[in-house]
Amino acid sequence: MHNQEEISKIQSVGLIALIVGVVGLLIGAFGLYSGLVSDDARPLISWLIGLTFWLSIALGLLFLTQIWYVFHARWPTIIRRQCEHCFSALPWIFLLFTPLLLIPFFHDNPGILWKWMNGSNVMPGGHGLIQDDPLFQWKSVYLNPIFFTVRAFLFFGVFIGLAYFLKKWSFDTDKTGDVENIHKARRLSSVGLFLLATASTLGAIDWFKSLDYHWFSTMYGVWFFAGSVRAALSTILIFCIIASAKGYLKGTFNQAHRYDLGCMMLAFTIFWTYISFSQYFLIHNANIPEETYWYNIREHNGDGVHNTWWVISMLLIFCNFLVPFFALLWYKTKIVIWRSVAVAVWILLFHIVDLYWNLVPGKVVDANASHGYYIRQFSVEIFDIAALIGVGGICIWAVCQSMLKAEPIPIKDPNVLKSLNHAE
Amino acid sequence: MSEVYAIVASFKNTPDLFHAAEKVRDAGFKKWDTYSSFPVHGMPEAQGQRRSKVPIFTFFGGITGFTLGTAMVWYMNAFDYPLIVGGMPFFSPVFPFPIMYELTILLAAFGTLGGMFITNLLPQHYSPLFNSAQFLEVSGDRLLIIIEAQDKQFDPVETKTFLESIGGFDIEEIED
Repeated sequence: MHNQEEISKIQSVGLIALIVGVVGLLIGAFGLYSGLVSDDARPLISWLIGLTFWLSIALGLLFLTQIWYVFHARWPTIIRRQCEHCFSALPWIFLLFTPLLLIPFFHDNPGILWKWMNGSNVMPGGHGLIQDDPLFQWKSVYLNPIFFTVRAFLFFGVFIGLAYFLKKWSFDTDKTGDVENIHKARRLSSVGLFLLATASTLGAIDWFKSLDYHWFSTMYGVWFFAGSVRAALSTILIFCIIASAKGYLKGTFNQAHRYDLGCMMLAFTIFWTYISFSQYFLIHNANIPEETYWYNIREHNGDGVHNTWWVISMLLIFCNFLVPFFALLWYKTKIVIWRSVAVAVWILLFHIVDLYWNLVPGKVVDANASHGYYIRQFSVEIFDIAALIGVGGICIWAVCQSMLKAEPIPIKDPNVLKSLNHAE
Repeated sequence: MSEVYAIVASFKNTPDLFHAAEKVRDAGFKKWDTYSSFPVHGMPEAQGQRRSKVPIFTFFGGITGFTLGTAMVWYMNAFDYPLIVGGMPFFSPVFPFPIMYELTILLAAFGTLGGMFITNLLPQHYSPLFNSAQFLEVSGDRLLIIIEAQDKQFDPVETKTFLESIGGFDIEEIED
């Protein structure tokens, strides 16, 4: 187990994270309150962005862990333990998500964040009420507040349940050395991947895509998966590098692990681009107004003048794809520590930008604007940063708590030696 | 014509081969290689080999493919026979992207294959090494180091003694 010095180091990191997290959350909660009082959706979106960033990382790690189990991958065994620590963030993310779930039941305007929750909300551009929108009427079988809430519980049930069992069985193996635990985890993963893919896809549709209920896209769930796994790989790489520099994983996390994580980051950079571009490409070629408007508001205002989202769109192409793509093509980027950390931080930063681009834009009804609405522009609010830091602080604290409960690496896992001796 | 092409030495086990390789590397030999029927982790470093040059071929293959795809679509759709399809512009980086992307992958793959052949000096139908009975046993359980006569430091007598001093046995000359 750990020595006293290591325990106190982890405890102090956890304590700092908790304090920073609580302060961030208090500021974020103030934003949430002010948004609810003034009927403004933007501070609520800040809260959603903060949650989504950390949720996407946790879900990405849950995906990776199960993929590694299913493929019987031996090399990531020591990394898998760090993923399991990160799973402990999921219940807290759910807890912080519940305020958004309560809005439809306790607020005067249930549709403050997810517009469709209030049928008497006005549609932008003088097209009447949402409840009279044929598209909404068709979709209302699925999009209604009760079913939405039930689904949120189901999805988080899947996330937390899978995380709980995978973590428990792995931690138990440390004590008993029972190989059956690994077999159980592998069997659960082969079912769990389907459950998680379904839950995260439908979750992404519910929580992010339904911000614009009018829109259609069949790629959205895969976009969320691609972005999540990419962010998860970057996070676990940074986590392991810090942990090995501080002595926690010293001598166990080696160059070959870093190299393979880097290769997967490259693969998922391409995959994210492939999915994001395919979504754009299909909608561009089909040219159906119900779909194209989603991209139009991310490019120009109603009058055809480029808006702030155009700049962000270009940033996504050049900085979220081209820069990490070319950087990660080089072998050196994947093995020189500071370079791989720089790319990982870069990817996480632009993952946040990608979330902004997907969650923030929308038509806001305003009688004074030229077409009866204006497009919510890009802006970095204090509440965004507060929510990102706040939720992050709580997540890091939860991870530190978990680190105190288990060995740094799964010492009795039958594959741990293969992982320790992993070479390129 | 019987000229010495190389000197071959066998080694008892993998660690012996590995450490012998490090010594050959440190002695400054350039034209030599190790032979085993299985990959030995860390052997490229022990032999002092630099990383493969194949990725460079891949990269330039990819760049060529991308340029070719873009030029092809532009020539066909916007220059040679402009045609309005579905109200789309004659040329844009969006709709022909699958072509640019597929050609990038195709030529990157060709580049990889070609680069592998070029850097491995393939195809090579004959090598004097085939004359050695020991070399043919490598696919079984032999572990060999072979130093070629073309190496600047090669000396028919001294190289033999050197190989013996680093733990080699069954030392033989291979004739051209």
